[in-house]
Amino acid sequence: MSLASDRLNRIQPSLTIAISTVARGMIAEGKNVISLSQGEPDFDTPRNIKDAAIAAMERGETKYTDVAGTITLRKAVTEAFARDTGIQYKPEEIIISTGAKQVLFNCMVSTLNPGDEVVIPSPCWVSYPDIVTLADGKPVLVPCGQNNGFKLRAEDLEAAITPRTKWFMLNNPCNPTGAAYSAEDLKPICEVLMRHPHVWILTDDIYDKLAYNGFKPGTIVAVEPRLKDRTLTVHGVSKSYAMTGWRIGFAAGPVALIKAMDKLQSQSTSNPNTIAQAAAIEALLGPQDTVEAMRKVFEERRDMVVEMMNACPGINCGKPDGAFYVYPSIHGCIGKTSKSGVLIKDDEAFVLTLLADEGVATVHGAAFCFPGYFRISYANATEDLREGCARIQRFCQGLT
Amino acid sequence: MMPGFAKRLDRVELAASVQMTIKARALKAAGKPVITLTTGEPNFDSPPHAIEAAHQAALAGDTKYPPQDGTRQLKEAIQRKFKRDSGLDYALDEISVGNGGKQCLFNAIMATVDPGDEVIIPVPSWIAYAQMVQLCEGVPVLVNCPQNNGFKPRAEDIDAAITPRTKWLILNNPNNPTGACCTAEEIAAIAAVMRKHPHVWILSDDMYEHLVFDGFKFATFAEVAPDLKDRTLTVTGVSKTYAMTGWRIGFAGGPKALIKAMTVMQGQATAGISTVGQAAAAAALDGPNDGVEAQIVAYKRRRDFAVDMLNAAKGISCHKPEGAFYVFPNVAGCLGKTTTGGRMLNTDEDVCLALLEENYVATVHGAAYHMSPFLRISTATEDEELMEGLRRIQTFCEGLH
Repeated sequence: MSLASDRLNRIQPSLTIAISTVARGMIAEGKNVISLSQGEPDFDTPRNIKDAAIAAMERGETKYTDVAGTITLRKAVTEAFARDTGIQYKPEEIIISTGAKQVLFNCMVSTLNPGDEVVIPSPCWVSYPDIVTLADGKPVLVPCGQNNGFKLRAEDLEAAITPRTKWFMLNNPCNPTGAAYSAEDLKPICEVLMRHPHVWILTDDIYDKLAYNGFKPGTIVAVEPRLKDRTLTVHGVSKSYAMTGWRIGFAAGPVALIKAMDKLQSQSTSNPNTIAQAAAIEALLGPQDTVEAMRKVFEERRDMVVEMMNACPGINCGKPDGAFYVYPSIHGCIGKTSKSGVLIKDDEAFVLTLLADEGVATVHGAAFCFPGYFRISYANATEDLREGCARIQRFCQGLT
Repeated sequence: MMPGFAKRLDRVELAASVQMTIKARALKAAGKPVITLTTGEPNFDSPPHAIEAAHQAALAGDTKYPPQDGTRQLKEAIQRKFKRDSGLDYALDEISVGNGGKQCLFNAIMATVDPGDEVIIPVPSWIAYAQMVQLCEGVPVLVNCPQNNGFKPRAEDIDAAITPRTKWLILNNPNNPTGACCTAEEIAAIAAVMRKHPHVWILSDDMYEHLVFDGFKFATFAEVAPDLKDRTLTVTGVSKTYAMTGWRIGFAGGPKALIKAMTVMQGQATAGISTVGQAAAAAALDGPNDGVEAQIVAYKRRRDFAVDMLNAAKGISCHKPEGAFYVFPNVAGCLGKTTTGGRMLNTDEDVCLALLEENYVATVHGAAYHMSPFLRISTATEDEELMEGLRRIQTFCEGLH
């Protein structure tokens, strides 16, 4: 009898492992590697948030909490939603999990039956289709081209919906492209969804505080309140408050769905870390000025990276409205040969050769179900970022 | 519109201990003087050196995504712990860290159990085992461990339960809910059975390993049967030993291929675990143990008076367990009787509910652990409060007619 379950075998081996393994090996050999591959802010968690965590542990907040999180944190989440989006939720419509990833996992595992379809615009975070597959569902990817700013067209959504569609998952702003939808952009999408009452909506808004040049991302329920009773709004403190390691994500949605997710969580992990929950309360309700300070730095970096990428021969980089990623096209580099003699046959060859020759780690587009591109994270110290981009320029200039 | 849920979710229910805790909380909120003996968590504080380590980790900026299988610092501390406590050598890639021991079990079951696969669970048992198996469409095969055998599994009963579809045997020593703990000899007898069935894997859940009394010597499966280590997963954590339930750190040692599969599963479910919790757990494992010693003394004292007071209650007989912080009294003598409040008691659940609503003592009924008619009483409660709860149980029994 084989050890691994069929469900485990359905999970694709991670396409980013090759990159990170090579990068780690190079670092171990003492090479200077600039990593522009990670999806987490380079900033440290703000001090007021750490202090709240320390105060909680010293008060003895070290016991189990409700599986769905403390009532204080769930209330704080409702206040933050009301303040930031105008949407009113009750604490029983909130669940706290070990990262937003667990929210997605809970949601899909507790709702999908074999053959249920989930519509996912691509490029996308690979965990979306992976989690759907793990839960016996079928990911239906809808390509969103660069010529539309990597954004989903309403008619493409309409065409992807079938009687078996259970969920539509939207990431706004998007990892890996940084594409973001305003309230205006979401209107036609909401109209399509209104016509298909059997489709549930998961909107992952984890990057929504990171938007630039005055852009304001919309969110489904605020745009179309009639969709509230079939929408799960996913959020967390990781990206906005530089709290990735604390592992706190959350979601707001209809009570019946939240209860189902709570039930699953009660049998898989129970509550998320109690101290981290206390930290998240301070993040959501404490002073918000650090968020704005970080956002401004990200905006400057985005501008610099886009400019430096567009100066690379063979690269074409749009300027996205949110998150901390850019997703340049390398179509002009494919088929060329690097100075080191490697044929750049696809995006994976591009990032592997870039890493080997110049010591810059990035992620290729195939890892986001959308080849021909690569992802650069600008959540890195500005100087490292500038040096990394300069190396990419040199690499591209060397292609023949 | 009604949401359509996954069929797998219908096979899962909210733990009875959680339901009883919720009921108790509601009565308390209504002003009733409720004593809660339902919770499986120590009433002690986490060790100061663990808190200090978490504090330092937060200040030092240890606030980034950790590796999915645990930080190197914690995994090294776990490696030392397995060696120190059980003489077990695990390489770092044979260790993984989860959000509580529960997630380690969940990862292992999800990563290995296909529809129709059987998992042998000696009962009474923690309800989560069967629930996780059912969530994966596996079949829990329950093996009774009767009171007259000290609630311990008999090797021959396990042997009889094994079929070609058996994937796992789950052992839990000391046991939740009974406190029973198999000796090394008893485990050796089970190991002899397992040698005959090379297709069966063994999951040893040792979460309560340090909470044993009267000089009892705890031994884990892989230690007793080193030749079976390559198909044994050893799961434990810091929650119960170090009073660190809220930190949510459990861990497992096992063969590399299994640990890798569990890490892939965790990568989809939660990714890495809270960094401050990992720093605290490492300090707890490497730190002084005097706090634990003092807690064991308290748990033993409470077990002793709890067993005595329960045996003095009319209609109750209570076995004295080797470990953990539970006692599991038999309430057969209460069934068929009527309470002072006029309720007829037909099941242990009736006893449990009447006790809560009439005498304000919250316990969990044995059926929730697959064995009736019993109650689970947690001794992880201050002496005075526990004693008052037990007095109320005596009064309750006195009033039955």
